[in-house]
Amino acid sequence: MPGIDESLLEAMRLPGARGALVADWISGLALGAVGEAPGGDAEATAAETAELARLALESPTLAPGSGGGASGGTTVEDLILTTADAYQLLRLVVTPFDSTVFLYLWLDRRDGNLALARIRLAEMADRLVLG
Amino acid sequence: MTAAAPTHTTAPALLAGLAADGATGVLTTSSGVLHLAAGEVVHADSAMSPALGELLTRSGALAPENWWEAVRRAGVRRRVGRHLVERGRLTTGALELCHLGALFDAAYFALLHDDRPARFRPGVAHWLGAVRPVPAAAVLRESRRRRALLQRIWPDPAVDTAPLARTSGAGRTKLPPRRGRALALVDGASTAAQIASALACRTFHTLVELRRLAADGLVIPAPPRPAAALPGPAAPGAAWDEPETALLRRLLDALEAL
Repeated sequence: MPGIDESLLEAMRLPGARGALVADWISGLALGAVGEAPGGDAEATAAETAELARLALESPTLAPGSGGGASGGTTVEDLILTTADAYQLLRLVVTPFDSTVFLYLWLDRRDGNLALARIRLAEMADRLVLG
Repeated sequence: MTAAAPTHTTAPALLAGLAADGATGVLTTSSGVLHLAAGEVVHADSAMSPALGELLTRSGALAPENWWEAVRRAGVRRRVGRHLVERGRLTTGALELCHLGALFDAAYFALLHDDRPARFRPGVAHWLGAVRPVPAAAVLRESRRRRALLQRIWPDPAVDTAPLARTSGAGRTKLPPRRGRALALVDGASTAAQIASALACRTFHTLVELRRLAADGLVIPAPPRPAAALPGPAAPGAAWDEPETALLRRLLDALEAL
């Protein structure tokens, strides 16, 4: 049964993975991090991606069902940011208790497969909480 | 048991020293406690923040009888967390996420007054057992960062401790769900910690919502009223501990004394 570290290491086995972390989108805290981070500072990456996630989750129009712990058709699942050389992928983790966390993956664009990474990260987010 | 550290040492300084020494025991501050094992923080408690058991059971993630069964059967062996996972009550990941949420929440309040003295009692580790120990430096850094975050959102610390009231603007705008739920419990008498407890939410995360509501002009610290005019509930500044929390804390103390 995976914990935070096992989930992060599993994410790092994806082709092209450069770094992964688990972060809190309200406080900006990194709960765990492996590999590299864009800019070299995992805590800064956690804080900045958290703010990005929060803007999406608190938007009244983009995904109005988000941030309430509920699941349904209008909640944020993923955020995807692309640059010329990398993909950055965020997956919200749904928990039965009060938490506001997401998985983050930094993927090299040459070796990475965005569609595969998105599916795998979603599975990891589910397994982390449900087993 | 060795002599306690000098009482004039502040919590951050004491914690840094204990981390360097790889100490095991309980650091008590003016507003909470940090449990250390081999120099790392394994657990934290504060009257301002809901405990792990409350977050798990009051959200419905874990049945109360399953929590107490784990405390009863594995508390003495300091393996409550492990017991919950082995019995299939929670996954390792769920336990770690909820535990870290509660730990950083309590640590924020325990380290709030970093100029006040703290003391350390060396001894045994916490009854929960090591779920995911956090380096002391990370706890100190996060507590400072959280303070700065609240200050950036709305620089009025009274929102964190005073009874809160709605303004006439409240209810007119559509709010994100978490913020809306916090606002719904602002009643002119409840404090942030009481609102967090009622929501089964971490208190710091509730403070963030309440400070954003204050920044938007929807919530203000309730103006003090003459005592005679108070219609019923606890006076401003009354203890944050609800009876249930106080009971949990007494049981916790009893377990630690075993």
